Amino acid sequence: MILEVKNLKKVYGDKTVVNIDHLQIAQGETVGLVGNNGAGKTTFFRMLLDLIRPSEGEVLSKGENVMQSDNWKNYTASFLDEGFLIDYLTPEEYFTFIGSLNNLSVADVAAYLTQYNEFFNGEILNSGKYIRDFSKGNQNKVGIAAALMQKPELLILDEPFANLDPTTQIRLKKLLKEFPGNMTTFISSHDLNHVTDVCKRIILVEKGRVIKDFRTDENTLKELESYFSA
Amino acid sequence: MLSTFLSHQRKSFWRSRNRGGSIAAQVVLGFFMLYFLTVAVGIGFTMAMFLPEVFKGQDIFKSFNGIILYYFAIDFLMRLQLQELPTLSIIPYLHLKIKKSKIISFLNIKALFSAFNLWPLFLFLPFIFTEVRVEYGAFATIMYVVSVISITIFNNYFILYLKRKSITNVIYTLCGLVIIAAFAALEYFKVISLMAASDYVFRAVAQYPYLGFGFTLAALAIFKLNSTFLASNLYVEELGSKQEKKVSTDYAFLNRFGKVGVLAALELKLILRHKRPRSSVLMAFFFLFYGFIFYKQPLIDSDSFGKMIFAAIFMTGISIITYGQFMFGWQSAHFDGLLSNKIDLKDYIKAKFLLFTIASTIITLLASFYVFLSPKLLLLHLAAYLCNIGFGTVMILYFATMNYKRLDITKSASFNWQGVGATQWILGFPFILVPMLIYMPFGLLDMPYWGLFAVSLIGIIMLLMRGFWVNFIVKRLEQQRYKIAEGFRE
Repeated sequence: MILEVKNLKKVYGDKTVVNIDHLQIAQGETVGLVGNNGAGKTTFFRMLLDLIRPSEGEVLSKGENVMQSDNWKNYTASFLDEGFLIDYLTPEEYFTFIGSLNNLSVADVAAYLTQYNEFFNGEILNSGKYIRDFSKGNQNKVGIAAALMQKPELLILDEPFANLDPTTQIRLKKLLKEFPGNMTTFISSHDLNHVTDVCKRIILVEKGRVIKDFRTDENTLKELESYFSA
Repeated sequence: MLSTFLSHQRKSFWRSRNRGGSIAAQVVLGFFMLYFLTVAVGIGFTMAMFLPEVFKGQDIFKSFNGIILYYFAIDFLMRLQLQELPTLSIIPYLHLKIKKSKIISFLNIKALFSAFNLWPLFLFLPFIFTEVRVEYGAFATIMYVVSVISITIFNNYFILYLKRKSITNVIYTLCGLVIIAAFAALEYFKVISLMAASDYVFRAVAQYPYLGFGFTLAALAIFKLNSTFLASNLYVEELGSKQEKKVSTDYAFLNRFGKVGVLAALELKLILRHKRPRSSVLMAFFFLFYGFIFYKQPLIDSDSFGKMIFAAIFMTGISIITYGQFMFGWQSAHFDGLLSNKIDLKDYIKAKFLLFTIASTIITLLASFYVFLSPKLLLLHLAAYLCNIGFGTVMILYFATMNYKRLDITKSASFNWQGVGATQWILGFPFILVPMLIYMPFGLLDMPYWGLFAVSLIGIIMLLMRGFWVNFIVKRLEQQRYKIAEGFRE
């Protein structure tokens, strides 16, 4: 089990934001997390990444509690929001920095980045700008590419499709679907089309609770649409 | 129209989101201004008395004329550093049916509301009205006033012009200071005299008052230049600082430190690429002159290090205090990223120690010019330096783990109170008091050199224990990280 959540709870004041009894994600799954604003998706992701202390319960990554050991960082890559980017660096500097944390040399990073030329659409590299000077969509691209560069076993992305132009959305879907290796992907999205397209399993949350957890088939999109329009 | 602009400005101030902070800042700023204005008035009215004191045996008018241009040279540098561009706030008006010239005159008028424009009046007018009037008559007096006002306005708009063209930089201010200091030195050794030049100019004004209009013409010219520049560049992206092409850099000298070096380089870039941390670090260079206030010859002769150690600690450690007091907060915008990436907290803390040590070493080396006062001061600095990098750094980082305030580092540093809390104020005390307390018993027993040795020893012991302290702070940070990260997200 690459991820296992047991009795996870986060309470702010008298409001329970996340309340998940049990959840397991196996190696190689692509899982989509959907839910309206305030469903607790981002808080949940933050607890997976040990950025917020759970009020109760635990998150196990390969059987180890993420709060107690840092081993999960060796195979987990994530991009939740711009807070993950170091915005005063040029994209090249940022990629090199992330690369150096994963023992990739400058040449490795450059070689890796060449395959992303299409994804970047010629706007990211050698642009003579700091990351903070980019549009939100382009910042997203930097964050996602940096996460993929780490060749993670577990990839966590929060609303990766937001702010991206249509072409890039399609390219990203292709990237996520075809990414080589036995990567487990856990993404959240408000875009039901994309998420059902990319993910083989959908977890639906409402007010911090898991309402539905099912495999996608041809009816999934309809089912989700009827749920959200109700 | 102008009054509408001004009322919008007022509203934007009162309704701003962090109103409490900005009001507090304004109040403190107001007190400062009041204080300096009072000082200016005081100097202005007593000038007739103290000018003969300062410049002994020199004609009082010669002295007065002489200091005018000096003052404006310094005024120029201060403005270069402190005066803000009144730009923003016009963005929502640009696309409306408002004439460009209206917007420009609003910007121009707003620029006049600056304390820098008041000081020269308070400083020079009293003397002009009392002494110059008696000596040279009414017309000359008026032209003196016109000249002073003209130069003030000239400086005001010239600075704005320079800032708009973004040809300003802290380095320029430093260069300017050096140039003025050089002139003062040349003056002292009687090689070239700026005072004489200034005196020559104003004596001419006294004799042929019409010449005063020369300054007015210069002021008008620069005003016109500024307005024309604004008129042809009234685009938001061109009004702010100019976008230059950013390049990736690599600090090779840090590479030898491995991952610690990588993190240190990251932070070095943070410092160099943001205004607030940059100026708080550069402040250290200005404080290098602090010693001249404290290191008095009698104190040096009697080995009274107790009275000087404060200055030594402060000078060699100022970069640790000013940068360290907001530690972790500087990185609040991407703290989540740092935590979720594969970064060993130990390396992270070590990188901070590394930066502190580098900064403190540079400053201490620079401060060695005090050797000209007395070689003893080098010993004092060495003791202070060792204590700072051994003891001070540990303490600052420990306190930093209690700081949960997000910091917006893109804002300027002067009079910016965002992110300042109680810890910042308390922080300075142990940093400076502990070495003083260690020294004190030795000072009282009249063993000054043993005192310095004791202070150094504490520093060295702490340095030798650094591995332990790194672990200690890492542990502390691990406990606190959720709280810190949460505070930084707000």
